[in-house]
Amino acid sequence: MMSNSESMILKGGSVLVTGATGDIGRAIVNECVSAGAAVFAAGRNEDKLSALVNQYESRVIPLNYDVTDEKAVKDAFRQIQIQQNQPNVGPLMGLVNNAGVMKEAPLSVSAMDGLKAQLNVNFLAPYQHMQLASRLMARHRHGSIVNIGSQVGEQGSSGLSAYGASKAALSGASRSLAKELAAVGIRVNTVAPGFINTELTAHFDDEARQDIESRIAMRRSGRAGDVARAVVFLLSKQSAYTTGHVLPVDGLFYP
Amino acid sequence: MDNQQKLTQTFVQALGISPEQVTDGLTYNTIKEWDSTAHMILIAELEDAFEVMLDTDDIIDMSSVSKAKDILAKYDVQF
Repeated sequence: MMSNSESMILKGGSVLVTGATGDIGRAIVNECVSAGAAVFAAGRNEDKLSALVNQYESRVIPLNYDVTDEKAVKDAFRQIQIQQNQPNVGPLMGLVNNAGVMKEAPLSVSAMDGLKAQLNVNFLAPYQHMQLASRLMARHRHGSIVNIGSQVGEQGSSGLSAYGASKAALSGASRSLAKELAAVGIRVNTVAPGFINTELTAHFDDEARQDIESRIAMRRSGRAGDVARAVVFLLSKQSAYTTGHVLPVDGLFYP
Repeated sequence: MDNQQKLTQTFVQALGISPEQVTDGLTYNTIKEWDSTAHMILIAELEDAFEVMLDTDDIIDMSSVSKAKDILAKYDVQF
């Protein structure tokens, strides 16, 4: 059994989680708080952010903004820059780029606007977050960035070319930034979930779900907590010598 | 400590050079200590010291000590 000190692997610092009010986002917030971190929870839904704050009290600091609004992102980091100096918060040592969108469409009916929207949320926004977070982390020569990719980005999936491209762009940037930022003590890794039971996959009927699960070696869908625990591992010193890695959380999935 | 002293100290700490080397003419990539990695640390330290968050365009333009002063002046840091 783990002692309390062993389980508090993120104690003393703060973590920014985007898309914090979705199923996976909430699970990440929960695991980060349980591991001792203060969490800057970013989301667009004020009510859902308030619910997170009520649940975790002072351990969660809400940041209500749209990740694709460049000015709003910068303002959010200005807030973090100030608030991280408070003793109950601590320096930003982790960033989890979790906010994402997925739109299914075959190539013949893919609108360019849909492609751009997915690139904006799934790649350009995380890129700006990495740019700003790395500057805060560089002061302490320490930090860990975890990007939420996808097995669709790593392996491809029919009908998800735009989504897959946006996630592949993110894991590609992560590998290069891992090399670039190692010099200032910042690690960059990607978690690549497979089929996870969330609000995004709730519309799958039983037949579709069974078909997908038949292509998963572990014969079950993933849970948000499965992803969140992998994220906390990569944020923590338990993965201190791991960077530029794509960690599948997919039960061995063939999308 | 005035802003000039603060700026000098920030360059000294970020680049690992002596205070005498921090002159207005000191330019990025002209000494081995001021490389791309040190530049990132320098930006981080300047933002911390002067409590500002710089625009990316300003970071790209910050190619010398003199330029750093001009850019910081835009953020109400006077020298």
